[in-house]
Amino acid sequence: MGNDDHALIRAVLAGDKDAYGQLVMRHSQSVFRVAFRITENEADAEEVVQESFFRGYRKLESFDARASFQTWIYRIAMNCALDVLNKRKSHAAMPIAEEYDGEQATVQLADGAAGPERLLLSRQIEALRQTAMEKLTATERLAFVLRHMEDRSTEEIAAALGIAPNSAKQAVFRAVQKLRQSLAPLWVKS
Amino acid sequence: MKHLTEEEMIEHYYSEDTRKANAEAHLRVCTPCSRAYEELGKLLGSVRAPETPERGPEYGAQVWQSIRGSLLPYEAKKKRGFFYWPQMAFAAACLLLLAGAFLAGRIWEHAHTRPTLASNPQQTKERVVLFVLDNHLDRSERLLVQLNHAAADGEQIDYPLQGEARQLLTDNRLYRQSVAKSNDPLLAAALDHLERVLLEVANSPDGLNSADIVRIEKEMNTQGLLFQIRVLRTKTNAQVVQKGATL
Repeated sequence: MGNDDHALIRAVLAGDKDAYGQLVMRHSQSVFRVAFRITENEADAEEVVQESFFRGYRKLESFDARASFQTWIYRIAMNCALDVLNKRKSHAAMPIAEEYDGEQATVQLADGAAGPERLLLSRQIEALRQTAMEKLTATERLAFVLRHMEDRSTEEIAAALGIAPNSAKQAVFRAVQKLRQSLAPLWVKS
Repeated sequence: MKHLTEEEMIEHYYSEDTRKANAEAHLRVCTPCSRAYEELGKLLGSVRAPETPERGPEYGAQVWQSIRGSLLPYEAKKKRGFFYWPQMAFAAACLLLLAGAFLAGRIWEHAHTRPTLASNPQQTKERVVLFVLDNHLDRSERLLVQLNHAAADGEQIDYPLQGEARQLLTDNRLYRQSVAKSNDPLLAAALDHLERVLLEVANSPDGLNSADIVRIEKEMNTQGLLFQIRVLRTKTNAQVVQKGATL
């Protein structure tokens, strides 16, 4: 696939715009998946996918032929996702964070003895997880998603975020610590 | 016993620790660390990736259609190479040519002007003396021509001509003294002769009438002096040109 990608890129740079369409069709599903895991919002993820391939086309001349197109477009998608997260934070997502306060969740769990407990627990965990994820910085969130959900190595995360490997590792640590603080009450009570 | 730090536990959880065996061995024997690690595992295990909404097989085509209209096709590489590089090469060649022509001009100019330039202060001084002497002889020649014409026409010499004669007399004394030290007896004799004529013209109290002029011409051989000065001028002119004194 890698060689095919390179052939398509050469065709695009030679003037065949539609060859890029094949690259888009080939990689849009995986870009959407990671975009959704980062943004956790369908519309935002779709926006990230479109913006990533748009930016990718414009920067295609700078693509290093030795690299993998998938890794390259992945990195662009990270930047686009960062932009979306920053934009979202600047538009004040605070009500959501306040709504799912850790202390409040603990009380809910303590009182939630009736009904299907497991389902309730699962919902509460998901709500808390979302709240906790919202509290992470954009870099911490990206690093954690790539490490925990995409199973990427520290080096890959560093490359995707354009930071040093040690910074990537620290970003993962900080994310885990914050998640632990946010989710700990749940485990104590349950 | 050294317990595992939180960072080491997280590294171990993601299997990125370099001393994995050591960490596992410690967790087997250390209850507090084992418990903490178990809690960490539970916590991270509960954080699952959100379920990604399904995207149909046509999703890629939809994305492509949404951005296709905004993209401009790239210019063919070959075309760019053909038109772009020769232009650059042509511009570079023109620059080189200009630089070469400039340098050649500088070298040529330098090579051709070097002989005319004074190589030392002595040469410069000689050049200036020759130039000034040539100018003095020129002025003297004109005065003698006027004097001879006046003698032929029977005119009276006017005051400005006497003033010029006085100025020339002062200069001539300096030149004569200077030339006397040099090894040029012909020039020294001519300047000496000229000084006497100038002295006569300059110092006539009531101006010079035609009789005076005729007398001076005969007694002092102004015609011969004029010829002598013309010969000297030709010589000094040649020397001036030779020494590059084309001021």
